[in-house]
Amino acid sequence: MPALKAVAASGVKRKRDPAKAERREAKSKKRQKSPSSEHGDDVQAEILQLEAQILESRRHYNNIATLLQLSKKSEDDAPVLAAVALCRVFSRLLAAGDMVRSKGMGEAEATVVAWLKERYREFLDTLLQSFLRCDNPAKQSVALTLLMRLVKEESKATKDYNLKNGPLSRLIEALLLLPAHDPNREEFAEKYFVQFDDVRFHTFKTIKNLLGTDLNDSERQLAASNSLSLLLSLDTVPQSKDDIKHYHTESQSKSSRPTLQVYKVQAQEAWLATMRAGLDKEQRKAILTTFSYQIAPWFQQPEMLMDFLTDSYDVGGATSLLALSGLYYLISEKNLDYPSFYLKLYSLLDEGLLHSKHRSRFFRLLDTFMSSTHLPAALVASFIKRLSRLALHGPPAGVVIVVPWVYNMFKRHPACTFMMHREVRDPALKEKLEKEGMDDPFDMSELDPMETNAIESSVWELEALQSHYHPNVATLAKIISEQFTKRSYNLEDFLDHSYTALLDTELDRDLKKDPEVEFEIPKRIFTAEEGLNPIGQLLQQVIEAR
Amino acid sequence: MPPSQLKRLKASLRDQGITGPQKSKKEKKSQNKNASHHTQKASALASIRESFNPFEFKHLSRPQKFEYATTNAKPKVLGRPGVTKSAGEETRRKTLLPEMNRKNKTGGILDRRIGENDPTMSLEDRMMARFEREQQRKRGGNVFDLEDGDEEVELTHGGQTLRFDDEIGEEDYDAASVSGSDHEGEDGFLKKKRRRDDGEEGDAEVENEEQPERKKSKAEVMKEVIAKSKLHKYERQQAKEDDEELREELDKDLNDVLAALRGHINKKPEPEKVREVAQNDFGMNADRAALLATMSQEGKDKEYDRRVRELFNDERSKPTERTKTAEEKAKEEADRLKELEEKRQKRMRGEPISDDEEPSKKQQDEDDDENMSDINDDAAEFGLAAPPAPGQSRPVGVDDEDDFILEDDLVATDSEADISDEESESGAEVDDTMAMDDDDADFLKDVVEQPKAQPKAVKGVLTIGADTSSSRLAYTYPCPRSHEELLEVFKTVDLKDTSTVVQRIRALYHAGLKEDNKHKLADFACALLDHVSYLSNQTPAAPLAVIESVIRHIHSISRSYPVQIATQFRKHLKAFQLSNQPTPGDLALLTAIGSIYPTSDHFHQVVTPAVTLMARWMGLTTPSSANDIATGAFVGALCLQYQTLSKRYIPEFIRYTSLCLRSPHATKPLLSAHTRNILTAADLWSGSPAFIEIFTPLLAPLKSAHQTSTTQNLLARVNNAKLTRRPQALHHHRPLPIPSRIPKFEESFDPTKHYDADRERSDATKLQKEYKRERKGAMRELRKDANFIAREKLREKKEKDAAYEAKYKRLVAEIQGEEGYEKNVYEREKRKRKGN
Repeated sequence: MPALKAVAASGVKRKRDPAKAERREAKSKKRQKSPSSEHGDDVQAEILQLEAQILESRRHYNNIATLLQLSKKSEDDAPVLAAVALCRVFSRLLAAGDMVRSKGMGEAEATVVAWLKERYREFLDTLLQSFLRCDNPAKQSVALTLLMRLVKEESKATKDYNLKNGPLSRLIEALLLLPAHDPNREEFAEKYFVQFDDVRFHTFKTIKNLLGTDLNDSERQLAASNSLSLLLSLDTVPQSKDDIKHYHTESQSKSSRPTLQVYKVQAQEAWLATMRAGLDKEQRKAILTTFSYQIAPWFQQPEMLMDFLTDSYDVGGATSLLALSGLYYLISEKNLDYPSFYLKLYSLLDEGLLHSKHRSRFFRLLDTFMSSTHLPAALVASFIKRLSRLALHGPPAGVVIVVPWVYNMFKRHPACTFMMHREVRDPALKEKLEKEGMDDPFDMSELDPMETNAIESSVWELEALQSHYHPNVATLAKIISEQFTKRSYNLEDFLDHSYTALLDTELDRDLKKDPEVEFEIPKRIFTAEEGLNPIGQLLQQVIEAR
Repeated sequence: MPPSQLKRLKASLRDQGITGPQKSKKEKKSQNKNASHHTQKASALASIRESFNPFEFKHLSRPQKFEYATTNAKPKVLGRPGVTKSAGEETRRKTLLPEMNRKNKTGGILDRRIGENDPTMSLEDRMMARFEREQQRKRGGNVFDLEDGDEEVELTHGGQTLRFDDEIGEEDYDAASVSGSDHEGEDGFLKKKRRRDDGEEGDAEVENEEQPERKKSKAEVMKEVIAKSKLHKYERQQAKEDDEELREELDKDLNDVLAALRGHINKKPEPEKVREVAQNDFGMNADRAALLATMSQEGKDKEYDRRVRELFNDERSKPTERTKTAEEKAKEEADRLKELEEKRQKRMRGEPISDDEEPSKKQQDEDDDENMSDINDDAAEFGLAAPPAPGQSRPVGVDDEDDFILEDDLVATDSEADISDEESESGAEVDDTMAMDDDDADFLKDVVEQPKAQPKAVKGVLTIGADTSSSRLAYTYPCPRSHEELLEVFKTVDLKDTSTVVQRIRALYHAGLKEDNKHKLADFACALLDHVSYLSNQTPAAPLAVIESVIRHIHSISRSYPVQIATQFRKHLKAFQLSNQPTPGDLALLTAIGSIYPTSDHFHQVVTPAVTLMARWMGLTTPSSANDIATGAFVGALCLQYQTLSKRYIPEFIRYTSLCLRSPHATKPLLSAHTRNILTAADLWSGSPAFIEIFTPLLAPLKSAHQTSTTQNLLARVNNAKLTRRPQALHHHRPLPIPSRIPKFEESFDPTKHYDADRERSDATKLQKEYKRERKGAMRELRKDANFIAREKLREKKEKDAAYEAKYKRLVAEIQGEEGYEKNVYEREKRKRKGN
């Protein structure tokens, strides 16, 4: 029996060994099959071998230098592989504590440590300089991942680790100086910056430092726009200490964990530095769009942004519309006093307003600003009249906002209701009206809403809109001439309409009823007795102009 | 104020005759002798004593101050505590006591008689319940069998079953003959009466009478009935078979008859036999005779009535409609047009059409529901629901629900066209086929030319003569069901002949000819629609006259297939919405929509999206080339054409036109097209209250484009509008009533009632009160039960004790007696001895 067992055991052994060999072969075969050339395959094998040797014993530390050499080559595959291998090697060394000089070390040992450190620095340089700045996105991405990995390893290995000394700040600096729309920065933002609080904290610091140093103009511009895009990718602001809990590094010491206060201060500094570096119009808009919920909460003293906002508000156009929300934030939260606010607000009601894509945002705020019942009736009347005038030439979506808003205004300010119902009782005046008719007393070009005489005018425009071509809009406009029994319309329901929405609601549903068909078949559509009729001619024109 | 206690006592004593004027000794004596008088007196006294017991009745705590007569006056005696107490005691003794006695005991005899232990049942109830149970048990298990029950419940008299059936006569007769009772006279009369009714049957019964006199059981009677009905059935079958035979014989002779008709007679038919058979049924046909024979009198009458009604309702019995004179026709036509116009007006105003108020009401309901479900969304009320939830709301006042009711001669009936051989009918049918209308005469002449000339073409017999204009064309084509197929068909056809070919296909595949043709024609129309777009998109484009004729064909077909064609149109619109680049094809389709559908409707499933699309294009694009400007001119003109009747305002038109006027690409003819549009628009919207504001923005661009005459014209119109402008007065409404805040007073307020408007709350309080009352009552009952039990126990104990005491005493007495006896004996003995 024992003999049998032995045979069986040996059998198993025998079986295992060939299996392993086969697997290896299979692996190598696979590699051969992979698109890389045979030469690449050799390099890979070589790198793996070198790495294995380093891990085997310290005698082969010189291989590190070889790998470094390899990584600096400009060949396609080898540098990446070498870099990955080196990263693994250094992580092991860091974890094993081989790179720390301790007291009881001999001379030789110390030399080795110093040498290793030197190589490590060299490796980092390679990653930062040649990898990150090359044109190959894959390589850049590898460099980013490796560097972040090394940062983590370092933090694990060393007690009281300070990110400032590590490769992170250099990495961020490098990222900031990369050209605009670089995918790596987005990757960094997505994977690390948004996720880990310590990385974020350190990034704030680095941004501030970098923009504080002397840079030439183009670099400064680049860094500023890049930092802006980084900062804008943050969409949540920590509310309390409990929100700061995701860390990339694994250090036990408390010193590297920022308090909320410090954290916010750093963020504020970073934002200020970015803003000071100069912004173009688009960037300004981008900041203003997200201002009240992404940026202002970071600031310990939002008052510092007052000038920025008032300047933006004075720019005019869409920028002003956007600045309005930030300004409102400051006015309501921080007691900002903005002189002649309504004058400015009135000036925002221009031709483009109802066509603007920020329309709903503006009306939301306008509704807030005009919600007070203590506003002078003349001012409210000016707003009503001006908006009605704009609605007359606006798209249906704009009309749909203006009409309920006007209704609410009339309801809130009964003094303005004369605008829709005014009976002339003075006989002399009546006679004059009969004879001469009347002109609109409203002055569209007047800038001061108190002086426009709108309260003397009437909203003929809204009446005209009652015969709007779109049935829903026309029906809605009719609420102005019906009895005001409803308390108010919820403006929010009317804000987000568009041509597309109007069309989709109709065209996407099935026909429920048979559509009407004109009972009379016209004898002519395009043609006339001789040749074409006007419509036909126009169509002919179009066809020919093509 | 009631009299005092003493007075009342005296009064009642006097009433009872206990006190009274003094009686003579004689009277007294005679009274005293009578023992019953004594007892009477005693009982009277007892009742008086009882009635004067202040605890026997519960009175009001304080007597009422005033006497008043109201309907719901409170009774003077509120309750009789003594009576209730004793009643309670009694019930307890009946229910609780046995329970108490049975407590902790097993076994014993249970009285299971129905209702025996139920004090709520009266003796009669008990008896009734027992009787029911007995009956049920007799019936044997099946409680739900109603039929059985009828049979089983037998009424008896003197232990004999009462009978009301046919055999009552004989029964009674038997009884009479046997007993010779005095009921005989009456029974005899009954029997006579029955005899008169039954006629023959009576005879049979007379025969039966001769059989041994024996009471027939129910089963036997039933058997007889069954046998009788079987016999009838058999007879009927027999008759039927005879008829069959006869018919077969006749059929056999049919050949001979036919031969005779053809002229060579082989054999004579046998009329005698037929007559013989017919004689039996008085010359009726066999079926009818059989019918009459089998049916009961009532059935016959019913059948007769039914047939008469049928005849009455028969179409043929109506007089045909008189042919109308020319004036009448013209008047009718005018009326029809007027009605159609009225309907159009209504739709334009967005009112629901009175013909179908129901759908609109339903819609209202739907709207209501909707409002209930999402009250918060104000926008949804106006059909401006957010796009993610499409189709849930209809715009208010939009009357797309209404049905445009066309008269028969207008509607292209896709129902079965009558394919008869009569020439006169086929003419009318052609009308139907082509959806012809009298005022479209000339259109139809060229559209329906062929079928009208050769009416047989419609009937599928293709004998169409060669037409001079299109002699090269084939007469039959496959019906194209998609645009690809259509292109295949039209590949060989000259553009000019498109109309003729379409016409022929329509005639060939008329819906009345085949079931399937409906779908074919609908698909064909959709393909034609695609073809319109295709034709205009081609380079060089097809002549507009051809497109026009195709559009008119589509118009004609769309009367029969409105849904399919509208859906196809909407598909094209959707495509245009996605591209937002109007091709000539799109423009041609938009024009087609304008001519096919009523553009003045407040809402229309095809027109509204089409206008919105055009407006969107004009609102969102800027003219960047001459082509754009030309397209703009066309779209603008088309939009204005859409609004010819309804005169609706299109803001985007103003925007795009002014942009075009300013555009550097604008050429002179394009500019003039635009200015023409502006003047048309000014005409259309001259009634608009905001005319000045609408057209003022156009003045500057017009001036800069050097269109002086138009500028002058427009300026004059604007100034004119200023003259007619008045301050706005939109709210000539009846003033809203101020809501009343006066508290509501209750007439005839009753403080004991609750006037809670909130029904739920009042119900809840009611329930709570009831609960409290019940709880109190239950507690009181339990307390009384406990008292009763304690009392009973005490009584038992006392009894026991008393028994024990008695026994003890008896024993002691016995012993003492014995002892005394013994003592006596002893004494005696002692004395004896002493004495001795």
